[in-house]
Amino acid sequence: MHNEYDSDAAGFPAIRELFELWRYRDLLRLIVNNSVKTRYKRSVLGIIWTLLNPLLNTLVLTIAFSQILRFQVYNYPIYILVGLLVWNFFAQTTTHAMNTLIWGSSLLKRIYVPRTIFSVSVVGNGLINFCLALIPLVLIMLVMKHPFSPTLTLLPVAIIFMAMFTLGFTLMISTLAVYFVDVVEMFAILLSAWFYLTPIIYPINILPEKIAEIVKLNPVYYILQLFQSIIYLGEWPSKESVLISGIISSFTFLVGWWFFTKRSDELAYRI
Amino acid sequence: MSWHTAFRNQEPDRAGSIIDLEKVSVRYKVPQEKIPSLKEYVIRWLKREVHYQDFWALKNINLKVDSGEVVGIIGPNGAGKSTLLKVVARVLKPTTGRIRTFGHIAPLLELGAGFDPELTGRENIYLNGAILGYSKSEINERLDSIVEFSGLQEFIDAPLRTYSTGMFARLGFSVATAKRPDVLIVDEILGVGDAEFQTRSYERIQEFRASGTTILLVSHSMDRVEEMCSKVVWLDGGELVSLGSPKAIISDYLGRTTHKEAERLAEKIHREPLQRWGNRKIEITHVYITDGHGHEQAVFRTGEKVILHMEYEAHEAHTSLIFGIAIHHQDGTHITGPNTKQAGLEIPALEGKGRVTYTIPYLPLLEGLYHFSVAVVNQDDSEIFDYHDRAYPFRVVNYLANSEKYGLMTLSGEWGLSTDQQQTGNVSR
Repeated sequence: MHNEYDSDAAGFPAIRELFELWRYRDLLRLIVNNSVKTRYKRSVLGIIWTLLNPLLNTLVLTIAFSQILRFQVYNYPIYILVGLLVWNFFAQTTTHAMNTLIWGSSLLKRIYVPRTIFSVSVVGNGLINFCLALIPLVLIMLVMKHPFSPTLTLLPVAIIFMAMFTLGFTLMISTLAVYFVDVVEMFAILLSAWFYLTPIIYPINILPEKIAEIVKLNPVYYILQLFQSIIYLGEWPSKESVLISGIISSFTFLVGWWFFTKRSDELAYRI
Repeated sequence: MSWHTAFRNQEPDRAGSIIDLEKVSVRYKVPQEKIPSLKEYVIRWLKREVHYQDFWALKNINLKVDSGEVVGIIGPNGAGKSTLLKVVARVLKPTTGRIRTFGHIAPLLELGAGFDPELTGRENIYLNGAILGYSKSEINERLDSIVEFSGLQEFIDAPLRTYSTGMFARLGFSVATAKRPDVLIVDEILGVGDAEFQTRSYERIQEFRASGTTILLVSHSMDRVEEMCSKVVWLDGGELVSLGSPKAIISDYLGRTTHKEAERLAEKIHREPLQRWGNRKIEITHVYITDGHGHEQAVFRTGEKVILHMEYEAHEAHTSLIFGIAIHHQDGTHITGPNTKQAGLEIPALEGKGRVTYTIPYLPLLEGLYHFSVAVVNQDDSEIFDYHDRAYPFRVVNYLANSEKYGLMTLSGEWGLSTDQQQTGNVSR
């Protein structure tokens, strides 16, 4: 086992952290397992609830928006559900990661573990939930006889982009949350505004030009677009849109990772 | 480990040391006021009102520890001992300077770090083990021995929230020491679990030591440090005061702390006694304690010569006086109460000033804090002239490894042994 430690080692901490994470992969797997287990052990409905939850949500939103706002979208429940899955992954992972790091930083004061492990494990946990939530989507698609397009083969790429973007964002926001208690609440408010600025329950083309321009500044929009294209529309996304979301997610990941590994030594110094 | 040992010998710059600190300093930034919210912070930052105070917990520490050494770290509270351990355990990165360690390090600083109360004991063994850097297969191999050592076989599949604090710590210790580490970091030899478990955990540490594990030990028990360590580091105020063989360093350190304690007691001794009564026709004006050489002292060693001096002033002439003293242990135990009458010392009529002394040729008291009381009364104890109750503290210290430790005093008794076996030669001592 490679066990040397040099506080002044040459090279980049951001890259060393990757190796450290690999060294602690058993711990990473355990943390993910345990959070999945505790989630499903506690409630009686357990896993059924996880599947039911997006379905009920979709039902409510479908009724609310298609009946009240009266815009016509083909197979609207599927449109909504795709949007909700991606959004829930992003919103739940970031929120959960903030709380996990606040817990984790108390552990970091007592013992060494790779500092990114908490955020990475939350993203891992989110991915498991995301995959489970694909089951009700498939059910609805079957019921509504929505076509399964070959574009679905691109789904892993879209998921990777989504995970990278979320991880990068999470690393930045959760660092702030360790330092300032009000970040968690402020972010909750930000999230609800962000939700409506993302074309989840409405298609972007119903927006007036000016507002659509604003929405296009929203990075989540580009990642979501990818999912909508390959699942809902069944169309191959344009090269540009893949490129844009690829750049956005890699950039966010790299900046977040760099920012966090640069700051992470300070976490244990927090009194 | 074998891989490691082999490799270590090839690297010239390490020269066998397993822990190497070069000019390590650790700085905490202490915010002068608590700024809990981002909103607050931004406002103050804009106003340039964010101030920090630097606190250097370690200053420029150089330390090399060789493989197999047992190093004791001593010093008063706040000296930086725990910070040093955290730097070695990789929890804190030095603010400046460099630390290098080679090999698997087991920190016994925080037993059961990351334990999850909702999970069972068994699941927590895996979790805690992974936090300590064990791989899954390493834990699989050692699971049975961990459970056995903890003595928690019956409870191992119960959730951890049902465990007592003692059980919690026992499990933590068992996991942390499941694998022989190259370096073991111990903060105070642990008061973990019951006496039987303490003995076993102490034995386990001793086994590691015997098989070449390097140990870093923080302890306030000088006996422990002297008994276990091959080298002692003395820290104070974040600085390395000295480094060397246990006997020399510990005796310096105790000398220093004794000195501080003496100053504190000396200050107290010259204050007006709190509990004082009597009509003061004859007054005890000044009391002090000296060693055999007449030097005023407040700290003594068992076996030393101690002299209590009482200066008096008789405002009117009196005959048949009795001077007496008493010694109490700090817990209130009355140890002795001699007086001049019992000793057959006739005191002639006194007038004016003078001095009475009480000499203890060989102080039989063991380590602890004691107080002298002094009094002067008339022949039949019906009139108290002056009485200072437990007003004069002194401390007895004991840092010779081969002196008595238990109880309050030594009787200077001698041991004998005679056996019924007929053997050549005599058993002496």
